[in-house]
Amino acid sequence: MTRIRAGLSDRLLSWRMLGGARQTFVDISTRGRKNGMVVIGFTIILVITLLAVLSPWLPIAKPTVLSPDLTQGPSSSHWFGTDQLGRDVFSRVLWGARVSLTVATLAIVFSLLIGVIMGLTAGYYGGAVDYVIAGTIDLFWTFPAFLLALAFAAALGSSLTNVIIAISISYWAGFARLMRGQALSVRERLFVEASRALGANNKRIMFTHVLPNCIAPLIVWASVGVADAITIESSLSFLGAGTQPPTPSWGYMLHSGLPALQEAPWISTFPGIVLLITVLGFNLLGDGLRDVLDPRMKGLRR
Amino acid sequence: MADLISYIIRKVILAIPVIVLATLIVFLMLYLTGDPVQQLRSPRDSPQDIQDIREKYGFDQPIIVQYGRFLVNLLHGDFGSSVAQGTTGTSVSSLIVQKLPLTLELMAIGLTISYSLGIPLGVFSALRQNSWKDRSVMVFTLVAYAMPSFWLGILLMLVFSVYLHVLPTEGTVGGLKSIILPALTLGLGNAALTTRMMRSSMLEVARQDYITQLRSRGLRERDVIFKHAMKNAILPVITVIGLDIGWFVGGAVIVETVFSWPGIGMLITDSITGSDFPTVQGCILVLAFFVILGNLTADILYAFADPRVRLG
Repeated sequence: MTRIRAGLSDRLLSWRMLGGARQTFVDISTRGRKNGMVVIGFTIILVITLLAVLSPWLPIAKPTVLSPDLTQGPSSSHWFGTDQLGRDVFSRVLWGARVSLTVATLAIVFSLLIGVIMGLTAGYYGGAVDYVIAGTIDLFWTFPAFLLALAFAAALGSSLTNVIIAISISYWAGFARLMRGQALSVRERLFVEASRALGANNKRIMFTHVLPNCIAPLIVWASVGVADAITIESSLSFLGAGTQPPTPSWGYMLHSGLPALQEAPWISTFPGIVLLITVLGFNLLGDGLRDVLDPRMKGLRR
Repeated sequence: MADLISYIIRKVILAIPVIVLATLIVFLMLYLTGDPVQQLRSPRDSPQDIQDIREKYGFDQPIIVQYGRFLVNLLHGDFGSSVAQGTTGTSVSSLIVQKLPLTLELMAIGLTISYSLGIPLGVFSALRQNSWKDRSVMVFTLVAYAMPSFWLGILLMLVFSVYLHVLPTEGTVGGLKSIILPALTLGLGNAALTTRMMRSSMLEVARQDYITQLRSRGLRERDVIFKHAMKNAILPVITVIGLDIGWFVGGAVIVETVFSWPGIGMLITDSITGSDFPTVQGCILVLAFFVILGNLTADILYAFADPRVRLG
């Protein structure tokens, strides 16, 4: 009987925690709507994502199809002009968005996973486990993510999968720091003690009580993280250590337009403008959400 | 003062394991793809050549012995030798010594630009909080921060070299003129961060009682701001100067490649495209060392500015 009741209470408790997480999302949509930065950022992301997802079905040229119109300026048939091989720049920018958004999102999802698991473990268990993990977190946090990603991409060899791996293992430390701090403070709270008294095991406490309390800052970080990941991916591709041609990628398009900058500036500038707008969109969303969800986090990012 | 010295010694000792870990990561990078010989051989090598390379670099020995040897070599300043086409056999350390001054020069000027732009702009913005001037500065910082440095570099190149013909596009041939664009590209993103920090720090200080007290005593507004408020507001901005080195080290790699500035950053890019792995390892270690040094500087400056930190 007591066991049934303990199980029931625990389920009730975790249901309420889930409700807490749900509340965060409700907060985001109601309060976010009133914040200019969130609205602008979200709109930009939505438009770019839609264009990227729909690009195979849009009435545009294929990004790898060569046409006889070499290095043509913007016109009604080629909105962003064509590059040195006669490929439609507009279509390549849209297909490049698919690559950039996929790489960035996947990389951030993976670093979120690594970071959450590492941070939760370190912060919740404390002691020797914390000492080792916190040291590793600090090491990765100290180094500029771009430099680490460059090193890993160089070591792994350039391919789409390797870029995702390189960014994931370079970027997780921010999430881990955040989770560790939250876990350290939440584990002392009364409801965690209550849950433990009811017989919940460590794993359960970590994922049903500690984690939902950190959802708001994690969302903010993830949004800014996607912006950073897009920058890192395009920088790697620009340096030749990232996405390899013929896969359309913004960084590589900017690089290949460099020799023709004088006579055909559109080859570099259009991918650059879209890249800037996209990064700006994610940054705006992140900054806006931070203001909306928790004004105390203002100092989190320098 | 004694507590400050003991704090500094403590921080220096704590930096040692970080450096060791950095060497371990750089060492293990060779093994990420499996057989490290594949990174070092040229495509034309016969199986016998590959065996020779394996023995020459000691890859036939246990990994811990290899790491030990790697560390001992590093302590002697030996980063191995280049395997790239043009520079085969040249020691990596001599390549680095040759390129490092150019990178340091670029970073120093970039740092100067970012602070001499960011601090006044931040103060200006804070003094006119919520006016259209403040808002335009904030929009500028948002855009400058989001702008990837290679794209900013291309844009500056397009405007100043291609259209206005006032500055050289690339290389070091133009003397002092050729460093302006790369340094500006490197400094502008960080200037945006500095502006935002300076603005929020200034707003924070301006709210405090001693400022109100100075105003009520009838001090001129100019003196209140520049003699009293600035002194405290600038501290948090100055203390992070060390942390900015991390940003600059990463940015230098890209900016040097865009402008063909022959420093460490371009050496890394060339080595990656030329599969010259020992050089990549050496350069990354050197850059990592600068990042660690920068963080150490930040810690020390912070303790210098805020005595409470020393006791913690």
